[in-house]
Amino acid sequence: MQGLNVTENGIRYLWECFSYYTGSCAYFMLYAAAVIYISIAGTKREKEIFIPCSVFLLLTVYNPVAPMVLDHFFDVNSEYYRFFWIAPVIVLVPYLFSKLIVTRTDMKQMIVVSLLIAAICLVSGKYVYADGIKWAQNIYKMPPELIEVSEKIHEDSGVEYPKAFLEYEYNMQMRQYDPKMLLTIDREDYLYAVSNPSYSREMLEDDTHPQYVLLAALVRFQDIDKESFLNALETTKTGYVVVSRDNPRIDYLKEAGLSIAGETQNHLIFKYDLKEPYEFELVDYSVVY
Amino acid sequence: MTDIAIITLSVICNLIIYLAFGSLLTGRKDKKCPLLLSVIAGFFFYYFVFFFFCVPPMKYYRPLSMLTKMWVPFVAAVVIFSTILNGRKWVSWFKNAMLYVKKHPLVTVFMLLLIGAQIVLVSCTYNFTLDAAYYVANVATSVETDMMNVYDPFTGAWQDHYEMRYFFATYSIQDSVVCQLTGIPALIWTKSVMAVTIILLTNMVYLMIARELIIYRNGRDEVKAGEDSANEDRTGTDHSMGSSKNGELAVVIMTALMFVINLTFITIYTSSLFLMTRTYEGKAIVGNLAIMTVFYLFIRMNDDSIKTRPWLITFIVCFGAATISSSANMLLPVELTVLFLPMIVRKKAWKMLPKYISCVIPGMVFSLIFVLYVKGYFVFYTFPN
Repeated sequence: MQGLNVTENGIRYLWECFSYYTGSCAYFMLYAAAVIYISIAGTKREKEIFIPCSVFLLLTVYNPVAPMVLDHFFDVNSEYYRFFWIAPVIVLVPYLFSKLIVTRTDMKQMIVVSLLIAAICLVSGKYVYADGIKWAQNIYKMPPELIEVSEKIHEDSGVEYPKAFLEYEYNMQMRQYDPKMLLTIDREDYLYAVSNPSYSREMLEDDTHPQYVLLAALVRFQDIDKESFLNALETTKTGYVVVSRDNPRIDYLKEAGLSIAGETQNHLIFKYDLKEPYEFELVDYSVVY
Repeated sequence: MTDIAIITLSVICNLIIYLAFGSLLTGRKDKKCPLLLSVIAGFFFYYFVFFFFCVPPMKYYRPLSMLTKMWVPFVAAVVIFSTILNGRKWVSWFKNAMLYVKKHPLVTVFMLLLIGAQIVLVSCTYNFTLDAAYYVANVATSVETDMMNVYDPFTGAWQDHYEMRYFFATYSIQDSVVCQLTGIPALIWTKSVMAVTIILLTNMVYLMIARELIIYRNGRDEVKAGEDSANEDRTGTDHSMGSSKNGELAVVIMTALMFVINLTFITIYTSSLFLMTRTYEGKAIVGNLAIMTVFYLFIRMNDDSIKTRPWLITFIVCFGAATISSSANMLLPVELTVLFLPMIVRKKAWKMLPKYISCVIPGMVFSLIFVLYVKGYFVFYTFPN
């Protein structure tokens, strides 16, 4: 769970983690209420199925000491929430609701209880498409412009595996569609770039990570001299830089000497002519077997 | 239209393969064993067997195409063998299913609409998730390079060692095998074919759980009248739900409410979100399908109503889930413990203890291996040193 740490939070970690997990949804409260109901009014079989596991969960997964103990052996900071998946919320709550509905004696009561339950469900949760459904625009479920960018780079490049610097979203998507496109920036570096304000001088001077210079210039919009920027492109063997038309560094790229190799409705594809042409080759494993 | 036909055909092929594998596990003798359980157990059995085919060639950096050449004839042989062995049982199952459809046409139509809505939502919507950058790109990269987990899916760069977090989770390599064999692009296979398959399987488990809870087959021969609550009888019908017609209605309402909860129990951490938006990821399969399958098996074992190899099926589900996502390594042992330990103690069924422990072991072993890797005790290189 991002931003949450067992060592820092101690026994508060569990509660914080649980709060993040449930957000504004009240289904765990409904689950707790259902467990109490079953323990009082449930059949013997219902009690056998739902009560012992709930008590055991309370003693283990929902025990504030549990994450602290586990953290000694495994790094559970970002994954402890997955234990909450074990609670059979999705079984018990619908089971009791359906029971409440069908055990009503007449149709009127059934309709009233059903409406009440529908209202509870609506109030208890947050709709997965609350921000609107985005329908996929093609069978690949990729932005059509990304496909266009890929095609244009391959058309322009004379090599089988061109290497490109892309903006965040395209960087995360491109290789799902086009595994022939090599990317300059990996996921962790990009996550750092988008979640930190700037790169320090030491980082920018670190020769082992020339990609920091590119990220500083094009993502954090730091003032990077053009020579360092071009050096970083050269060192990382980056032949293409793709930015959206509203990227404030377009003039910077032009001034640095990059040419426009192609464009789409919302993106510009800049080309950098590597001083030493680079052709990526797959490792030859035939010598091994 | 061709794409939709390919996706539909692929999903059907998947289900037939899972049924063939699962029927070998659930056996021919237990006529009460539901068809759906064979399909779901078959899903995990398939990935369990695939793991043993995949890991040795991967460890010794053999090409993906070599694995494809080994795996495909094997699967074909299993399907043929299982069809010969179980064909009659399948026909009888389908006849029963048809009878059910005739008897409950409205229930059938409603269930189809419910599942259809979920299929449309998961297969036709656009969702941006960071993790797809690894999982889907790994499938595409493996096909492109004809190697397994050797190239970094994020960048395409060669890696000198295997990332152990993903080494034993061979699920995505299976996707690569199929993509290589059929030529179906990784994005279509993972985000459409597998997403639809997982939605179908998850709904099958939901349906089995709902039926087991509401119209259950509680050890029909074993429960003595009056022994249980006043609401239950020898026929296994929970009379608190009224007539069997009401039972069917309750099943429909319950599965519909499960769908509603999956649509509305949404934060970036819930299993419902994983199911609805990241269906193709191993985590979604573990968090929904595997956890619910174990819960279903627990209900059946609690009722003593499953005769054929219940612990073997549980073991396969746990091991199979661990080969789908490393999340299962911790989750399923904990789930097994909270569900089965109290049951074993209550029933004083001490003979079950070793079986429970053997189900916990695969996840624990994979976890231990990962810890040893993180602590630097070993590394698997992608090239001979």
